[in-house]
Amino acid sequence: MGSRRFVAALLINLLGVAPASAQSVWDSLQVHGFAATAALNTTANRWFARRSGASFEFTEIGLNASLRPLPRLLLAGQVLGRRAGGMYDGTPAIDFALADITLFSSPRQRAGLRLGRIKNPLGLYNETRDVPFTHPGIFLPQVVYFDKVRNLVLSTDGAMLYSETTTDLGTLSLNVLGGRAVIDTNVEWTYLGRDYPGRLKSDRNSWIAGLWFTSHAERLRLGLSGASTGFKFAPDRYATGTLDPGTTDVLYWILSAQYSAENWTLSSEYAREPMHWHGYGPSLPDRKMVTEGYYVQGTWRPRPAFELLLSYQEGYANRADRNGRAFAAASGGLIAASTNFSRILTAGISWDINQHWMVRAEYQHHQGTFVLSPRENPDPNRLAEHWDLVGLQAVFQF
Amino acid sequence: MGLVFALWPVTVSVQELIANQASPQSALTRNEARLYFTLRLQQWPNGRPIRVFVLPDDDPLHIAFVKNILGLFPYQLRSAWDRQVFSGTGQAPTKVASEAEMLQRIATIPDAIGYASAAANDPRIRTLEVR
Repeated sequence: MGSRRFVAALLINLLGVAPASAQSVWDSLQVHGFAATAALNTTANRWFARRSGASFEFTEIGLNASLRPLPRLLLAGQVLGRRAGGMYDGTPAIDFALADITLFSSPRQRAGLRLGRIKNPLGLYNETRDVPFTHPGIFLPQVVYFDKVRNLVLSTDGAMLYSETTTDLGTLSLNVLGGRAVIDTNVEWTYLGRDYPGRLKSDRNSWIAGLWFTSHAERLRLGLSGASTGFKFAPDRYATGTLDPGTTDVLYWILSAQYSAENWTLSSEYAREPMHWHGYGPSLPDRKMVTEGYYVQGTWRPRPAFELLLSYQEGYANRADRNGRAFAAASGGLIAASTNFSRILTAGISWDINQHWMVRAEYQHHQGTFVLSPRENPDPNRLAEHWDLVGLQAVFQF
Repeated sequence: MGLVFALWPVTVSVQELIANQASPQSALTRNEARLYFTLRLQQWPNGRPIRVFVLPDDDPLHIAFVKNILGLFPYQLRSAWDRQVFSGTGQAPTKVASEAEMLQRIATIPDAIGYASAAANDPRIRTLEVR
């Protein structure tokens, strides 16, 4: 009780406003959530699946609550359980948990501070990447929003300053976030090739920044956002066949554009990811590489409840070797060139049955296997270059 | 002329932005109205927290208000609210089931803002001019 009074007094001092009454504080409590499950089938390769063929291993459940105890203070948190083939087993995790403090707020300028676990505002979709009805399609464009290393850019434990300025042309917003990246085993599989004995840790502070322009009426959105992060491998001292304690530095940036009309939306993003591995010893020599990807995506809403999706994307593991031939030659022909690129054509439809339910169907044709998780597909010799994916998803939200 | 009107889809003729009589504003710009309804500006100029009330997304009055007064499309508002709610950066507006409930809430909640299909005939509700 004493500590609660102390916190209340601290907040009142900090924010300069007292709540009107206890009743009105709890009036602001909101609880929202979503659940989604998908049936997937591939003609070859494993995608959100531990086996080839049909799978029912992509299920998500999210629940969040928010409270505004003071006009300038918002508290919010979300728990997310995500089962995704061989990558995630569905164990619930804290997706975000933050305090948002409004520093100042007027029709021309707004600024604030967020503290806690914050979703990284990267590109058009990263902040709500796991929430199905905030993006078209069952899967985000993989060449920009990799699911195989989702956690590297998912969220940060730290602090963020954000500001918005509204001018006669539109709104300009700038945000800067610093803290520790929340990383996991999928990051190790993708950046180190497999799960070596030892642990991968955040090496230093991550920095994330974004600059966005939004025209009046939000027809046009243009943005540049990026993250600079690094991780360090701490080998198990008693194990053999592991790596030296090396580090990997990653810079990841996205150029975004989106135009929204009444019945259609056109979006395009280009991402580039320069990486540098060093100090891992002879089994993973020092090297630098730049990954890149882009997509163009159109959605058309013939009726408000129906949305058709068509998109094309290309991604390259190494932009200096886009066709992967140098890589294949260096492996002595053991690993196919097509593991180093992905070209994906996607067509989909979604139907909002009512305000709570949505169903989606999607077809993708792939050339190349760059976007696949090496954790789900550990043997590169068994990968097929040309493959198709069909998915059905049901989504509930409240 | 009569034929043209007969073929025209059913629309709501007038939409007014309304607030509780305690509102410190009697007029606002279209841009301010957008900031309030997208929940990016969450306080009245006097610092009081604003409370936004909306009808369901497919309600004809909601669609007409969003398009004609705010100059936005309903799906843009829905997407702005969902992005804020599911990233912990904002809250959703309060949904009401009918225009009658909207008027009742605006009349009785001091910091409330919403819309109606005509200027309200109730001294507790103020019609705000959108310039």
